[in-house]
Amino acid sequence: MWPFGSSTKKEDVVSGETISTTQITETTPEVSAPQLNISAIPIFDASKLHPLAGLDKDLEYLDLDEEKLSNVEGTGNGILPSRGWSDDLCYGTGTLYVGGLGLGGLYGLNQGLLNLPPGSVDPVTGNIKSAPFKLKLNTVLNQVTKHGPHIGNSAGVLGLLYNIIDSSLDAYRGKHDDLNSLASGALAGAIFKSTSGTKAMAYSTGMMTLAAAAWCGFKRAIN
Amino acid sequence: MSTPEADHSRDPCPIVILNDFGGAYAMGVIGGSIWHGIKGFRNSPYGERRIGALSAIKARAPVVGGNFGVWGGLFSFYDCSIKAIRKREDAWNAILAGFFVGGSLAVRGGRKHMLNSAITCAIFLGILEGVGMMFQRYMAYANKPVPMPVPDGGAAPLSA
Repeated sequence: MWPFGSSTKKEDVVSGETISTTQITETTPEVSAPQLNISAIPIFDASKLHPLAGLDKDLEYLDLDEEKLSNVEGTGNGILPSRGWSDDLCYGTGTLYVGGLGLGGLYGLNQGLLNLPPGSVDPVTGNIKSAPFKLKLNTVLNQVTKHGPHIGNSAGVLGLLYNIIDSSLDAYRGKHDDLNSLASGALAGAIFKSTSGTKAMAYSTGMMTLAAAAWCGFKRAIN
Repeated sequence: MSTPEADHSRDPCPIVILNDFGGAYAMGVIGGSIWHGIKGFRNSPYGERRIGALSAIKARAPVVGGNFGVWGGLFSFYDCSIKAIRKREDAWNAILAGFFVGGSLAVRGGRKHMLNSAITCAIFLGILEGVGMMFQRYMAYANKPVPMPVPDGGAAPLSA
């Protein structure tokens, strides 16, 4: 039953109602569409109108901002566009892991070059014979592969813990702000050193909170 | 990996390497925690089972994560490079990338080990791509469009 357009027929049917149909059909073209709540008018029983239109429900808000990738308050000011917690987790962990791997590798390169194997002295002639190239290369590579993955793994675990806790706090509180970041930094640091005693835990918590604060400051500075 | 359309669930190429590194690392750490947690629990004497599981996780889960992460990140790196050079996306990209990953990871074991590892990885990825293609073809077959049924009342074309 279409409510607009057939005013003459309906007047016969509901002539005893408190609001006459003619009045409504006169006002409907003037009322702008979003303010018209059809189900508030007693003549139009929402259950008898088209059921799929959902007229008996409350107002529904459409998401008009299609550029936004996430609906959590405060997101979208990161460096990379993020599709939610999984992107944050992957990029955060990956960046920290690769960064740790590279820094640890450089440190290992330095250590390897400082500790090159000494040359051997020939017992007959007394000449100093330097160690073969393969031995030197092996020393450097051993140092690089010892320190690189160690630092990378530690940084990666910290990033993983931080991002998991941060995304959980975001989902719990419904917004993404610096407080969440600081709290998740502190928690990640505490969990990371949770088996090494209170002092190490406190130290690691402080360091990670500072790192989270630095990250928040960096994000603010570039935005 | 070998879909003809642009895949909007993945980021564009150079930056996706970081994403894959992190994703593979996280997968390895979480899976390694479960694996080594159970293993450490079972291999510890009674009374020390929980601390045994914890120390096994602490010692080994990040290593598993690192192995996964390096594999996934290197694979993504080679995949992107091959894409940039060949300027096309097909199953050979993944197979070639697997070949190079296998070779790179075995670089310290000598030439023969490198070649063996590279071929093993390439075959593994070839199987993976083949299974993916078969699955894709099966999905296309199962969801193929059905022609509209011809009405019974004889041919009544819309000619006036």
